[in-house]
Amino acid sequence: MFQPVKPSQWLVIAAAILVMAAVPLVTRNSYLLHVLILTMIFGIFASAWNLVAGFGGMKTFGHHAFFGIGAYVSALLSIKAGWSPWLTIWFGALAATGAGLFIGLPILRIKSMSHVAIVTLGFAEIVRIVISNLQTITRGELGLWGIRPFEGFTLPFFGEITFSPADKVPYYYLILLLLIGSTAVIMLLMRSRTGLSIIAMRDAEDAAESLGVNLTRQKLLVFAVSAFLVGIAGAFYAHYISILTPTAAVGIDLMILVIAMALVGGLSTFSGPLVGALLLTGTVELLRDLDQYRLLVYGAMIILIVMFLPKGLTTLGPVLRKRFASR
Amino acid sequence: MQNPTPATPLLKVDGITMAFGGIVAVDNLSFSVQPGEILALMGPNGAGKTTTFHVIAGVHSPDHGTITFDGHEITRARPDRRCRAGLARTFQITQPFDELTVVENVMVGAIAHHRSMAEARVEARRYVDMVGLSERADILAKGLSTGQRKRLEMARAMATRPKLLLLDEVTGGVDMASVPGLIDLVKRLRGEGLTLIIIEHNMRVITELADRAIFMNRGVRMAEGTPAEIARHPEVIELYLGEDDGHG
Repeated sequence: MFQPVKPSQWLVIAAAILVMAAVPLVTRNSYLLHVLILTMIFGIFASAWNLVAGFGGMKTFGHHAFFGIGAYVSALLSIKAGWSPWLTIWFGALAATGAGLFIGLPILRIKSMSHVAIVTLGFAEIVRIVISNLQTITRGELGLWGIRPFEGFTLPFFGEITFSPADKVPYYYLILLLLIGSTAVIMLLMRSRTGLSIIAMRDAEDAAESLGVNLTRQKLLVFAVSAFLVGIAGAFYAHYISILTPTAAVGIDLMILVIAMALVGGLSTFSGPLVGALLLTGTVELLRDLDQYRLLVYGAMIILIVMFLPKGLTTLGPVLRKRFASR
Repeated sequence: MQNPTPATPLLKVDGITMAFGGIVAVDNLSFSVQPGEILALMGPNGAGKTTTFHVIAGVHSPDHGTITFDGHEITRARPDRRCRAGLARTFQITQPFDELTVVENVMVGAIAHHRSMAEARVEARRYVDMVGLSERADILAKGLSTGQRKRLEMARAMATRPKLLLLDEVTGGVDMASVPGLIDLVKRLRGEGLTLIIIEHNMRVITELADRAIFMNRGVRMAEGTPAEIARHPEVIELYLGEDDGHG
């Protein structure tokens, strides 16, 4: 991971970006774009969770709190204060970062990962309940609606850009940019001293500390970065979907789905959470025809992948190569 | 102490006491270590060697007493602070970073002194070569044998550029054939101007390496002197060496 990026890897990255950027040029199918937009929102979420849980080894199960905080703070600021969503999404992300530091501080001292999981899960549940009960502000489970979309602007060569439910293309490119930005942040962070330190910390905490790694600072840093990225994904979601309910934006289902994505794709890899997000978001939609059997197939698929590829789908290539080489 | 005109000690342990529940593991222990010296801590199991080691390394804070390192009091400093001050350690039960390569393991120690990862890698490779792991430099640390892990521990600690290195049972759990190589390595570390404190059971290793040894029992110092003096000390023989002559 800390070796220079090989030309072949640059090629894969460039190809993936090109393919994603080309989709709206090929089809403007609103449904397909919607699925891909959701995929990219989840891609940011799963990558950011993987930063803390995969690379950092801190098994947090409460990242949906940051998603919800990002979404609600951005939505409420744009509605109540009348600020532009272009501005409020950053405040949403900063609010999520604040919450990340707030919950990050106490859990740093907990060495048992199962306790970390329960504390973070409990924290997220508190956030959900508070949002549902603050009905005067959030309208609770009735749903916060009428969230302003991003304002349009004029781009040279492209003309007028308008964000509206009818045209998903601007949203598509915006979230693609956010996804590229998030992935770049995570990759740069992981390839830096911080990345080396947090992997060392995950593998042997006492040894890392004895070698000069400031555990508190590094853990808080990755926690804050992760919460920020999840917050920005949540904020984008709010202005894209334009209606928020506590269940949809801070529900535990969201966290479970994201964990499944990271596990299926491959924990502690850059591409794993993205592959997982694409596969699981896509499959949910493809399986809609199966109606009530959908979750059955979905569950079976996750179990099979975890059983036969415990390190995730991204290890499929090496695993197959090994199989064939040994024969 | 041997030295008629002692220089300023690099490490000064002053009256440390450390109890766990009702059990006093270390009882009012004082000693100091001069620059360039190799001091061995010895004694039977439960003598308080490891607790002393941990108090110096910063794993535990002592109930009483102070530790002064290189002119600064570090009694309650965190381990990472001590590392930056120039105090490094190895672990008895080796703690490799499994998912990092051997060089990357050593880089974790080297990044304290380097802004750039590339520079840290160059320096790390030097220590990997020094401990004789060049051929394994790019494999994951989980693939190393016990002896190689001990070497990795030393390379990592050396990469932090310590003044004082604490070695916890370098030859513990290692097959006999690897012991001479490890002894040579420790001698070479000392050649780099390092001061060392070693915890060791193997009398042969102590005789070969240490300038001075402190023999502990039940949390207090029972004897102190050159390894040869310790080996002749009647109480030491009774407690430790007498039962097992083959050790020496």
